[in-house]
Amino acid sequence: MSRKLASFGMVAAAALGLGCAGLPGSLSGEAPAPAAEIPAWEKPPPPPRDAPVVDATKLHRMELSNGLKLIVLEDRRLPRFDLGITARRGASDEPVEHAGLASYTAHLMERGAGERTALELAAVVDDLGASLSVASTWDSFNAAVSGLSVDVETLFGVLADVVLRPRFDADEAERVRAEHLAGLERAKDEPENLVRWALYRALYDGHRYGLPIEGSSESVAGLTPELARDFHASVFTPSNAILFAAGDVDPAALKRRAEAAFGAWSAGETLPVGPPAPARTPEAVRIIVVDRPDLGQSQIAVGHEGIARADERRIAVQLLNTVLGSGGFSSRLMGRVRADEGLTYGIGSSFGERRSAGPFAVRTFTRVAETGRVVALILEEMRRMIDDPPDEIELGKAQGLRTGSFGLGLETSGAVASSLVALDVYGLPEDSLDTYRGRIRATKPTDVASIAPDLLHPERVAIVVVGPADALRPQLEGLGPVEVVQP
Amino acid sequence: MKRPPRLRERLLRTGSSGVLSGLMLLLVASSAARSEPAPSFEDPAARTRTTVLENGLTVLTLEDHTTPVVSFQIWVQVGSGDEARWTGIAHLFEHMMFRGSERLPPEAHGRLIGERGGRVNAFTSRDVTVYFDDVTSEHLPLVVELEAERLRSLDISEESLESERQVVIEERRLRSEDDPQGRAFENLLALAFQAHPYRIPTVGWMSDLEKIGVEECNEFFRDYYAANNLVVAVAGDFDTEELLALIRKHMGPLRSSDHIARNPQLEPEQRGERRAVVHFDVRAPILAAAWHAPPTGHEDGAALDVLSSVLSSGRTSRLYRTLVYDEQAALGASGAYWELMRAGLFYAFAIARPGVDIGRVESLFFGEVDRIATEGVTQAEVDKAKRTLEVDLIEGLGTAHALASRIGRDMVSFGRIRPLEERLSEIRSVTPEDVQRVAATWLKPEKRNVVHVTQPPEASQ
Repeated sequence: MSRKLASFGMVAAAALGLGCAGLPGSLSGEAPAPAAEIPAWEKPPPPPRDAPVVDATKLHRMELSNGLKLIVLEDRRLPRFDLGITARRGASDEPVEHAGLASYTAHLMERGAGERTALELAAVVDDLGASLSVASTWDSFNAAVSGLSVDVETLFGVLADVVLRPRFDADEAERVRAEHLAGLERAKDEPENLVRWALYRALYDGHRYGLPIEGSSESVAGLTPELARDFHASVFTPSNAILFAAGDVDPAALKRRAEAAFGAWSAGETLPVGPPAPARTPEAVRIIVVDRPDLGQSQIAVGHEGIARADERRIAVQLLNTVLGSGGFSSRLMGRVRADEGLTYGIGSSFGERRSAGPFAVRTFTRVAETGRVVALILEEMRRMIDDPPDEIELGKAQGLRTGSFGLGLETSGAVASSLVALDVYGLPEDSLDTYRGRIRATKPTDVASIAPDLLHPERVAIVVVGPADALRPQLEGLGPVEVVQP
Repeated sequence: MKRPPRLRERLLRTGSSGVLSGLMLLLVASSAARSEPAPSFEDPAARTRTTVLENGLTVLTLEDHTTPVVSFQIWVQVGSGDEARWTGIAHLFEHMMFRGSERLPPEAHGRLIGERGGRVNAFTSRDVTVYFDDVTSEHLPLVVELEAERLRSLDISEESLESERQVVIEERRLRSEDDPQGRAFENLLALAFQAHPYRIPTVGWMSDLEKIGVEECNEFFRDYYAANNLVVAVAGDFDTEELLALIRKHMGPLRSSDHIARNPQLEPEQRGERRAVVHFDVRAPILAAAWHAPPTGHEDGAALDVLSSVLSSGRTSRLYRTLVYDEQAALGASGAYWELMRAGLFYAFAIARPGVDIGRVESLFFGEVDRIATEGVTQAEVDKAKRTLEVDLIEGLGTAHALASRIGRDMVSFGRIRPLEERLSEIRSVTPEDVQRVAATWLKPEKRNVVHVTQPPEASQ
């Protein structure tokens, strides 16, 4: 079935051709179709009702005396709130020999702070039915609490302790390191992790992006509480962090609390950002098979370098990627590989937008015997984005998808606050959320067509497959030399 | 690797709401030292309106203009627990619902919603099959027509079934065959239930998936997709009268059925522990276990939820403390009540640290369960659990999708919308003695079903 069938005119044509009775499997005895009425799907979509993303009267941007920024988004619908601090450094900025340090530091910050040991800290949070989480991404480091608004004072104190006074006790550090190592081992039991990790290594060996965000068994074995203490001190500084709250909170009271808790926090030296990732990787086709003879399904990743989060082409890249593989059933890859050919349950493409250019990757899985065919289809669809870029109709659908799902994704105040904080992390304009839909709609087919050859490189991809090497090698050899590695 | 899972998803399944409008709730604080009384607030689902059309279609509408979003859900009262000859047909059929109708080609429904930025998907469980479209409100009329179109004139062709069968087979490989946790659960359910149709994996057994034909799908559609077997649940930004008029116009003509077939549901009493071993290439062995427990709506339900929380919620929970923190034997461990409409299970799940014997994890896990049955729990533990359950209930009210799910689930589970207050008062009335009693009643050692997922013997040498 052509992917174009879903356009309005084409749907009508298809309906005339397919809609008659007597096709195999059609059901008799049903109510007839409402006659002589145009179905909603053949009418042009109603004009979008772009509700404002952020209600300006509910959003408060403030600054403490020491320069720490504060964002408060009031939302009194439910008696609960989210509160957190995000710092603008993450796993990308840790030394590659200490890969996993940000993640280890985050776990350790949850294990005791201020006057409370690990179990005492857990008890104060659990007694309130609240939650505390500290986690790093590639480019940021986030500590957050959530709970009922009646508990805001206690939970504010917990957050301040965790951010300003983590204990890094030696015995907790040893527990965290052991859990971290065991978790990395366990993760190898999931074929999906094996394929992602092998792709990172194929693209970025030697750079921090070449290892999982959690690090490797070798690097994590060398982590110590002293390393975590230093990392924490150089990441969490007032000039490098932003405090945010969303939900049932009073902005003025929150600012007073913030001033009392964080106002005396003095500026330290902030960790420099990590080195940039290679701008071009791989140089030529690389094919890697991770041997798992017991699997009946192969896990597949095809990729090369992508773009940075702040890349000026990002809006056009998002639309290109929506058409190629991130647009669900409207994407070319899903249409071809799943809907038409039934070769997979899911397929998608993504750009890992980080401070530096993260990976572009197409990910899917299929029965072992069809692996070669699926890889060929992926490469064909990448080429087709360059040779046959989206026309106005196909781009229009991608624009509808992006603008509509943008609104849907910001239904909760917590989601809006997280998006505002992410803009701050990457130094992007504060009004980016408000202008997003306009920028998507202003993009033209030529904008997408012109960037496709710079963005997609089917001639020099890394192809990584997890599965039985004996059955996979003959299917992939035609594309280049196959390297077989053990999990 | 992080804290054990909260019980949010399961609690929502038993959730509650009310037709009593304007009911104000007061969450009573636990007596834990630091917690204060939670503020009163209105149960958003209390304004749900129930309408039954002449063809038996139940329509639940919950108008709420806070955000410009609507969740439109169809709860079909059929799941893998209703399967007879063909396992997996309820779920395969769910996929076929996206494969075209009289006037639309395969996947057009998903594309039309997707291209307007909506979310469209479906899931099948042992009890129900649920379809949902989450859209910004201007697209609601399209959703109603698309849903009516496929319910009225689904068109299953040989070619389309063949292609989708392969998709589902890949889904089965992904989630059950090549995934150690999926294997564990599939084996556990087949071990715990001998006669009850809940023993069937919802995705189905491979040999059935390979053979289900167009005629079987059409029969399944006729048997279960009748208007009087459907509940439409809509929450969010719409005008109730306008929406009901649209639903009447497009869904009023759907056929109803005078007989909906159901399987016998009797499970013979379990007499003695049952065990199974599954070999898989794992570094971290898995323990999965289960005891029979009561179905949804049972008077012990709230105490079993509190027991789940005492065992599994947070780093102060008993399983985390013993298995993960003190003994460092497991990466994670949880035990929780899984209530289904016709029977329940209390399951145990733990992932051993690589190198730790799964037998040691098992004896630590069951030791904690048995200790509750023999020694009981403290008032402080029960208070903490109640507060956690209350917070989870509140946090589960935050989106149109969550609200529509709650009212839909309530209606198919209880035939009414249960007020949040009712659910909360059940939780509040649980005592430490209740928790000990349900542990002693339902979690007896001789009633366990135990599965180990471990390396095959030759690989571990």
